[in-house]
Amino acid sequence: MNITAYQIIAPLASFVAVVYAWNLVFRQKKTVWEAMLWTLFWVAIAYIAIEPDSIKYLTRVTGIKNRENAVLVTFLGILFFIVFYIIMRLEELEQRQTRIIRKMALHNKGLDTDDEE
Amino acid sequence: MSDHHIIAVIPAYNEATRIAAVIADAQQYVEKVVVVTDGSKDNTAEVAEKAGAFTVLHVENCGAGAATMTGIEAARALGADVIITLDADGQHDPHDIPSMMQPILDEEADIVFANRFGQRNAIPLIRRVFNGMGNIVTFAVIGRWVSDSQCGFKVLGPKAVEEIDIRMSGYEFCTEIVRESVQRRWRVKEVSTKVLYSEYTMAKGQSFASGVKTALKILLRSFLR
Repeated sequence: MNITAYQIIAPLASFVAVVYAWNLVFRQKKTVWEAMLWTLFWVAIAYIAIEPDSIKYLTRVTGIKNRENAVLVTFLGILFFIVFYIIMRLEELEQRQTRIIRKMALHNKGLDTDDEE
Repeated sequence: MSDHHIIAVIPAYNEATRIAAVIADAQQYVEKVVVVTDGSKDNTAEVAEKAGAFTVLHVENCGAGAATMTGIEAARALGADVIITLDADGQHDPHDIPSMMQPILDEEADIVFANRFGQRNAIPLIRRVFNGMGNIVTFAVIGRWVSDSQCGFKVLGPKAVEEIDIRMSGYEFCTEIVRESVQRRWRVKEVSTKVLYSEYTMAKGQSFASGVKTALKILLRSFLR
């Protein structure tokens, strides 16, 4: 069996992502449930990388039959991820704005609270 | 009533016609009512002030979640160790506050969720469907089933008051509170309450589009957190 670089990199990346997810659980930033969903996702990625034949069903359903298509779909996935990441960044900015408005509101009523973060 | 300092928090956006009655009813059961007017364009703030509420003003509309957290911060600063959150549109009956408070007073719970579906309430089908979807999305991303996860009527006990930190600005904060209860290991109780839906409350509620947006935000945030 010929092992491609992708079959080594994808499981390694998955392993790092899973470790990171559980690390967030121990730092109480993620719930166990969220980490389990995250683990499931990355284990599936790793499994598909190691056993490409396992997605023959998907190949049938989606029509992705060759590597070129697979690369295209992979990049679409990456683009989706980037868009999601930008959305999250926008949300962070929105949260920052909310914190400023909250501080102003409380300050105007003489209720200054301790700074967070 | 009890040794607790109990404060009601009411986030409000353009509720001048309703807020006074909600404040008057809530005042019977709490020491103080905090109203957060979330960038209201009408005179909600003046009406609330006149009705005897402690009013905090957001200069811009930030959303129900942001207003609720501002109210919680204000209540904390005012010395609250039990906080009740209520909607400003009059759909919740403040006379349910004593039964909602009981599990906190009995030290059986850190947070009490109201359940509008636990008794015979005239709830429009579309609302039942939306809330059911909200419950399913909440369960999918959090792993805890709450019968009425999207209801704004809640009681936070001392532990929850101390620890709660809502970051989501919009309606998705309801799901975030369920997440907080899991993350921080709060004891949870649910109490059946009355609900009064009117044309007014139906018009103020979430539309299908905003419901979908809320669900997507919840899913996204749980995935990328």
